[in-house]
Amino acid sequence: MSALLITLESSTRLLDPLRSFIGSLVSPIYVVAESPYLLTNAVGDVLATREQLQQKNRDLERRVLELSQISQQYVALKAENDRLRELLGSQGRLPYEVLIAELVGVIPDPTTFQIIIDKGADAGLSVGQAVLDAEGLFGQVVEVNRFTSRVLLLTDRDHAVPVRINRNGVRSIAGGTGDMGSLVLENVAISADIVEGDRVETSGLGGRFPPGYPVGIVASVVVEPTSAFAEVLVRPSALLDRSRHVLVIFTPQPQIESNDANTDGVVDLDQGEAAPATNGVENAQAGAT
Amino acid sequence: MNPANGGWLIALTLVAAMLLGVVHLPETWPGWLGWLRPNWLILVLFFWVIEVPHRVGLIAMWITGLFVDVLYADPVGLNGLILASVSYLGWRFFERLRMYSVLQQCGILFLLVLGAEVLSVMVLGLGSERPWSWHVLVSALVTMLVWPLMFLLLLRLRTGLRVE
Repeated sequence: MSALLITLESSTRLLDPLRSFIGSLVSPIYVVAESPYLLTNAVGDVLATREQLQQKNRDLERRVLELSQISQQYVALKAENDRLRELLGSQGRLPYEVLIAELVGVIPDPTTFQIIIDKGADAGLSVGQAVLDAEGLFGQVVEVNRFTSRVLLLTDRDHAVPVRINRNGVRSIAGGTGDMGSLVLENVAISADIVEGDRVETSGLGGRFPPGYPVGIVASVVVEPTSAFAEVLVRPSALLDRSRHVLVIFTPQPQIESNDANTDGVVDLDQGEAAPATNGVENAQAGAT
Repeated sequence: MNPANGGWLIALTLVAAMLLGVVHLPETWPGWLGWLRPNWLILVLFFWVIEVPHRVGLIAMWITGLFVDVLYADPVGLNGLILASVSYLGWRFFERLRMYSVLQQCGILFLLVLGAEVLSVMVLGLGSERPWSWHVLVSALVTMLVWPLMFLLLLRLRTGLRVE
């Protein structure tokens, strides 16, 4: 019976409703397990001294000023970018909506990196959405329950994300290593122009992750004379083991529902790739490769 | 005595074991401490199944396993299989296991947890790229070391609340 269930789950999505139903029932356990941390935070807020609060407030105000200056430029740049895209005849990029979620649990198994966040199907989440924190790409949603969701972090061994080098647009795939502090760029040719310190960002290929979000910074490039590929390690920008608040991205969906009515072959092909069809963990690979 | 006496205690300790299974340490602590987590569920279940084997149902344990699967993000059915197997073995040999010394019980637990961990690594390996590691041995060892304490604690609870 167990074997049947395990096989069913690994090959089909039939068990997803069962999973998310049970998930809704057990989600309070995560909240209880996480309560010491939630309580410490709450108590810390209450006990903070006046000076600390004032200091924090000053810091935040300074940060707001910096960011608003950047966002003013951003508006102008976006307008210019849209104009140029129009000249080229390509579609303008749609803005992404985000939803702030809080971490309520961590999957205890040290061989995998997954967290539970406090937004679920009720908030409109669906499997495959990208998750960010304040510094960069965090992971993707792999399971949605009623009130909570499970997020696979990008350093998990089963996770992979299509990326490009910010400086020159060299494309690659950043796979997790099972180590919280590093990602590895897969199948990078020795001749590829990647050096230490390069910024790595999502390329948007595969349709799962929106393009242009920071993934990390190249930490080391090792070229072995005997190997056809360079070994490139990337340090993720997101604070994977510290962030308590994350952003879930809602990608605006171009109308891809009416597959049959669509006569344009190219678009059809795109949809086939972008449609989230497979299950959870394998998804990351499927979406990426 | 009321035959339903104490069923809630068994359920409560099992839920507590699940809870202990998902509690995580502060981020500032070294990561390797996370590997030292005993298999709380098997500990608690092992106690109940050798003390009051008639109160621990195989199907109930299998269904409990479904909840554990979702909680730990394991493939559905895996923990059901593990818990039901432990219950069955305990139920089959409970007279013998009860007579064993604590050391022998520790040994049995070591084997049970080792088997469970190997099974879950194999099943997880079907659908993901997680590697084999010494984790399976560490978890079994820690579980074994925690058993005497757990045994005393649960025994006190059991006699205090007269679970039959």
